[in-house]
Formats: sequence, C-alpha cells, structure tokens
Amino acid sequence: MSARISKGYITHHPIIEFKRGKKVKFFFEGQVLEGYEGEPIAAALHANGIKVLSYSVRYQRPRGFFCAVGKCASCLMEVDGRENVMVCMEPLREGMRVRRQRR
Amino acid sequence: MKSDFSEEKKIVCRCEDLTAAEIIKKIKEGYHTFDELKRVIRCGAGMCQGRTCRDLIMKLLAQHLNRRIEDLPHPTIRPPIKPIPLKSFQ
Amino acid sequence: MRYQLGIVGGGPAGMMAALIGDRFGIKTILIDDNPALGGQLIKQTHKFFGSKDHYCGYRGFQIGSILREEIAKSKVEVITSATVTGIYPGFILGLHHKERYQEVGCDAVIVATGAKEKFLIFENNDLPGVYGAGAVQTLMNVYGVFPGRRALMIGSGNIGLIVTYQLLQAGVEVPFLVEILPEIGGWFVHAAKIARAGTRILTSHTIISALGEEEVEGAVIAKVDDQFHPVSGSEVTIDVDLICLAVGLSPLSDLLWQVGCRMEFIPELGGYLAWHNERMETTVPGLYVAGDVAGIEEATTAMLEGKVAAISAVSHLLGPSDELSAMQREIIRELDDLRSGDFSQVVSRGLRRLYDRP
Ligand SMILES: Cc1cc2nc3c(=O)[nH]c(=O)nc-3n(C[C@H](O)[C@H](O)[C@H](O)COP(=O)(O)OP(=O)(O)OC[C@H]3O[C@@H](n4cnc5c(N)ncnc54)[C@H](O)[C@@H]3O)c2cc1C
Ligand code: FES
Ligand code: FES
Repeated sequence: MSARISKGYITHHPIIEFKRGKKVKFFFEGQVLEGYEGEPIAAALHANGIKVLSYSVRYQRPRGFFCAVGKCASCLMEVDGRENVMVCMEPLREGMRVRRQRR
Repeated sequence: MKSDFSEEKKIVCRCEDLTAAEIIKKIKEGYHTFDELKRVIRCGAGMCQGRTCRDLIMKLLAQHLNRRIEDLPHPTIRPPIKPIPLKSFQ
Repeated sequence: MRYQLGIVGGGPAGMMAALIGDRFGIKTILIDDNPALGGQLIKQTHKFFGSKDHYCGYRGFQIGSILREEIAKSKVEVITSATVTGIYPGFILGLHHKERYQEVGCDAVIVATGAKEKFLIFENNDLPGVYGAGAVQTLMNVYGVFPGRRALMIGSGNIGLIVTYQLLQAGVEVPFLVEILPEIGGWFVHAAKIARAGTRILTSHTIISALGEEEVEGAVIAKVDDQFHPVSGSEVTIDVDLICLAVGLSPLSDLLWQVGCRMEFIPELGGYLAWHNERMETTVPGLYVAGDVAGIEEATTAMLEGKVAAISAVSHLLGPSDELSAMQREIIRELDDLRSGDFSQVVSRGLRRLYDRP
C-alpha cells in the first residue's frame, strides 16, 4: 500500500485518483491559508492542520467536525460574515473569510 | 483508577454542551422522558435537533430507569428538522 | 411546482426509486443535500459484497456513477445541495436550497434519507480528532485529505473493518481496533485483511478516554468484563491523533417522526424507524420508505427497496395493476433470497419483528 502525502493531502493513492479544483487562498481567523476550490471548508481546514472549529457554548470545550455530512451541526462557523454555516458541506471559494463563531 | 475518568467530561449533547453527569442528575431528579429532559435542560434541542444525542439520551433513560427503550415514551419531533436562518424566508 | 412523486435522499435507494418512477412516466423530483447524488456510495472504494447480478465486484463509487448517468438520461428532476427540512400536510416538502426556503408539492413521497452515525459516551468524546468513521471516509476518499498519522478504530462491524483498511491504504497507521463484544462483528475476510496489515484487533476492549487539550493526542483503552465494565488496572495509553467511531448507524428518520408515522424501536435494524410492510408502505398512505432509513442494511437491498417503494407509489398514483404487483412480488422475492444467508440473520430477525407488529 503506497500512498503519498504532501501538505495534509493524499497525493498518490493506490485506488483513487483525486480530481481537485484549482488552488485558492482563503482566510482563517485572519491567517492566509491554501485549499482547493470546491472542497468543503472543513476539509481545507483539516488539511491545514486546523481541527478546532469552535469552542462549545457552556464549557468552552474545543470542537471539531463529527459527521462531515451535514447531520450533526458540530462544524458551524462564520463564513464571510454569515453565521452558522456548516463548513463540512460548504464549498471553499477564493478569498473566503472563515472564523470561529463568537457566542 | 476508575475515578480518574470523570462523568463530567463525557459529552452527550454536543450542541447544548451537556454532560452525561448533568443528564443523569436530571433523570434522578425525576425527569423520566426525553421530552421532559429536553424541556428542563434543552438536551436534544440544539442545532442538530437531537440527531446526534437522541439515541444516547434514550439509552441513559433506559439504563437508569431499568427499562427497555421500546417501553419508554417516544420523543416528539417537530419540523423543521434543521433550523432555517430567518433570512431564507425572504 | 407540483410533482407526482417526491423522493428525499439520493443514495442508492432514492436513485433507484426515481428511475422506476420515471420508467412509468411519473413526474418525479429527487432531492439530496449533498453536492452530488450517490449517498454513501461516493466514498466506498472497496469492491462490493453482495450477489452477482447486483453489482458485486464493482466499487461503490462506480455503482454510484452508473446510477447517476442513468438519472441524467431520464426525465427525473434533480435538486442537489438541498435539505428537506419538513414534510407538511398535502405532502408539501419544505426545502432549504441555496440559502432560500422553498416548497414543493407532491402527490406521493418516498423517504430514502439513509442513516446517521452513532455517537458514543466516553471521556473527552467531543475532542477534535474524534470523528465518525464515515466522516473520515468522506474526508480521505472523496477529498483526499490525510486524516491523521495514527488512528484508533472503535468497532469491528464491517464499517469499522473496511474503514480501517482504507485508512491503511491512505497511509495512516492503525495500531489498534477495539471491540467491546467478545467477538468480531464484521466478516472474517475483512478482519483477516487488516490483521495481516498489522492492526491488532482487541475484542472485549473499549475506549475509556480521549487524551489531549485542544485535539486528540492519545487514547486510553481497557479490557471489559462480561458486564462490559472496564477492568480496573487493564488501562493502556496509546499514541494516536485520530479516533474513529464505527459503533453503528441508525435510521435518519426525523422527517418520518415529524409526519406522524408510527415509529418502532427495532435494535436489529438500527433503532427507531417508521413501521412499514414488505411493500415499503408506512402508516401514512402515499408515504413510503426505502434503504437504510427503513432499517440499516446494504446498498443492494437499498436499491431493491427503492424499486419496491417506487412501485407502491406508482400503484398509488396510477391505480394498481397486475403488471405492477407481479413486478413487485418478483423484487420482494429477490430481497428474501438476498436476506436468506447467514450474514443477514440479524436483519431478517428485525424485519420479522417489524412485520409481525400489525
Ligand atoms: C464504510 C461502509 C462500507 C459499506 N460497504 C458496503 C458494501 O460493501 N456493500 C453494500 O452493499 N453496502 C455497503 N455499505 C452500505 C451502503 O452504503 C448503504 O446501505 C447504502 O448506501 C444505503 O443507501 P440509502 O440510499 O438508503 O442511503 P444513503 O446512501 O445514505 O443516501 C441517503 C442520502 O439522502 C440524503 N439526505 C438525508 N436526509 C436528507 C434531507 N432531509 N434532505 C435531503 N437529502 C437528505 C443523504 O445526505 C444521502 O445523500 C457500506 C456502508 C459504509 C458506511
Ligand atoms: S460535521 Fe456534522 S454537520 Fe458538519
Ligand atoms: S447533540 Fe443534542 S441537540 Fe445536537
């Protein structure tokens, strides 16, 4: 089994060939990151090593995604000023501004 | 050894940030159905509308009341199954 | 806009149902919340189990593409990235699409929403890096994101076993798989494959805690006794940065609860589900179920159930006919055959319990 990994992405996979969008820049908490257009924001963040998507409402516990298919609401973030965006389903676009929600 | 792992850090309802300890406490206080628990501590009333925690809460109820899940009153679920941002209606 | 048949969920069950509806000239709309049709199939990279004439040997994502192409050629109206948030009286589907709320009226509805992954209670179970096995599958198989360096898999059903293998294929180390039951749940072939690749499968073991401040940096696992309580002193700390939960699926039946279908709790089928009969009719006339939402099973049975549900809907819309009922009986017989094997004992028991409740 001979997968190759680069910068958080699988570049060679024994079975799958990934069709990726073009490389785009986006912002996470003001920091510039790179991802592929069209992939879910959560995927781009994870590839950039960002797993904490929010802090929980009562205990401020770090939270990441859980289901990655739009069912559990664990991945809500602020995107371009819109609140409660499910970033596991929302496609990444050039220049998007992604933030942890302030609650 | 067992006490090193506390009930306080076991999350049951992610959306409303409720631990197993909090839910068990309410069950012991006499809230014996999913709907009652939801009313008092909002477990299952979060953004995912209980999809992630409903099964776990039913299981805790069954365990602590010593009954089978199928014998407990069913949860009530009302539309919408996902909260819709108000501006979407415009 | 009004449709004769509305189908919620575009996995194998929903896609197959739509194709049948279309074949009978029914004006059909198929709605799915993902950007593309396919449901679970789009992330399945392994060769499928199942019978010969049911796409056995194809990889799941290939079956998905075949069905998608057929739908593209048909008259079925497809809306993706749209979530059905409610079914209202008169079969009005409320849907949320492109940040707008809209309503679509239908004469009959098939709910084929699939399943959701179960969550598990343990210390720090909400730490980032604790993900559903299906979530990890989506991340790595659909988007090619490297999920983590070293993973702990929880659960030895087929999903746990298959996703473990897929993690290994993607270059992730999987030193341990823990299973709380004394025996492996999934098929021996899958278990043997990952064991050969170096994963230790620990039965009668569970996870006690996820370790880490901001994200997973390790896990504590322990042996359990025959009451499933952790045996004190048996705790072992392991170095992992990813914990995958493959502790079962349950039917995604919120819409059915909400409509007021009679619900039954059948553990063999994954938990609460809408009561239905062999023809996939629920207690609400004109409302049908198919696929994992009608009991957790597999893609082959989901497709057949999709056909059965669609035929029921067509008879409801156009009136029953001998042709339709003969066709339906034939598919129900095929389903019975598929479920007669040893592997389907649990599902068959669950379905018997369901059908026995009048
Ligand atoms: C790891 C793994 C391996 C598997 N391997 C095999 C195998 O080898 N062979 C086999 O036969 N089966 C296999 N299966 C099982 C198979 O994938 C499922 O049984 C099958 O996909 C179920 O089909 P479905 O159409 O019922 O649901 P799904 O495929 O889950 O499709 C349901 C669709 O509905 C959408 N949806 C849900 N709610 C809404 C809503 N409110 N509005 C709009 N859309 C909605 C969902 O997002 C999804 O796209 C495997 C499953 C997994 C997880
Ligand atoms: S991770 Fe579950 S909704 Fe996004
Ligand atoms: S986890 Fe409880 S409402 Fe979402």
